[in-house]
Amino acid sequence: MKDTEMDRILSKQDEILSSSGFAASVMEAVRREAAAPAPIPFPWKRALPLLACGAVALLLVAVVGVVSIVQLVRGSLSQHLATAPSLTRFMPSLQGPIGLAVGWTVLALLAAWVSVRFSMHLAGRRA
Amino acid sequence: MSANDDQAAVERVLAGDVSSFEEIVRRWQNPLVNLAYRFCRDRGRAEDMAQEAFLRAYRGLKQWRKEAVFSTWLFAVATNFYRSELRRIPARCTLPLDDVADPVDPHPYDGGLEDHDRDQAVRRAIFTLPAKYREALILFYFHDMDVPAAARSLGLPEGTVKARLSRGREILRSRITQHLAVPRSKEA
Repeated sequence: MKDTEMDRILSKQDEILSSSGFAASVMEAVRREAAAPAPIPFPWKRALPLLACGAVALLLVAVVGVVSIVQLVRGSLSQHLATAPSLTRFMPSLQGPIGLAVGWTVLALLAAWVSVRFSMHLAGRRA
Repeated sequence: MSANDDQAAVERVLAGDVSSFEEIVRRWQNPLVNLAYRFCRDRGRAEDMAQEAFLRAYRGLKQWRKEAVFSTWLFAVATNFYRSELRRIPARCTLPLDDVADPVDPHPYDGGLEDHDRDQAVRRAIFTLPAKYREALILFYFHDMDVPAAARSLGLPEGTVKARLSRGREILRSRITQHLAVPRSKEA
């Protein structure tokens, strides 16, 4: 089959007409779209400082974590506990690995609580 | 219909006159429905797809840069949506060549039955091609064999479209030759 023959066949396609209510149906959907409230943009201006603080805190936590792991690996557990989060200093009963875990958990819960409070505060101000 | 009419309507819509979009819909409804029909060969689905394409165009009206005429942008938006939609839910025509039901032809055919069968087989065979060749062929013939227009709708360089057309035709030719050479088991 030659290209010209193929062109002739494929150019001669069935043409259809849109149904009578098509334009009205499209316009109904467009008007619905136009009437819908615009999506609320994310408040970057307000969130950015906190996100930056969060990122710095995360970085610090990661650094402290890595340092702690390295120290643990070296077997210098006692030295590690001396530099561990201050929570263990104020609560002697939380000495050792359990104290360390509690410290991190409290820190994580605190970060989550602050994040939730801040989100709710922002959402409340937008409403 | 002129490009200026489209531009004026778009400017009114962007200024807040939503009803001006109806001018655009009325002007381009048949081309968009027909383009969708060539992709899916299903009238109901073609209208649904065209409606969604118009909605996407409405949402993205601000993104029309006016570097190209409005219709070029509109076809690109529609083509992009049709392609992704057909990849999500393929057309029913993407069946083996022998298993496809004849599409309803509103125009009575006045040629020989053999030619008619061959023509139908060629049109059906397009739906057995891999998507990238099928899309290039559909758009090339939809735009009256205009490679630059097909390339703009697909958002591809003209050279890529030409290569796909050439390869698509090659595959199509081999499939048609194969199909017409072997007597169909249904007819045996």
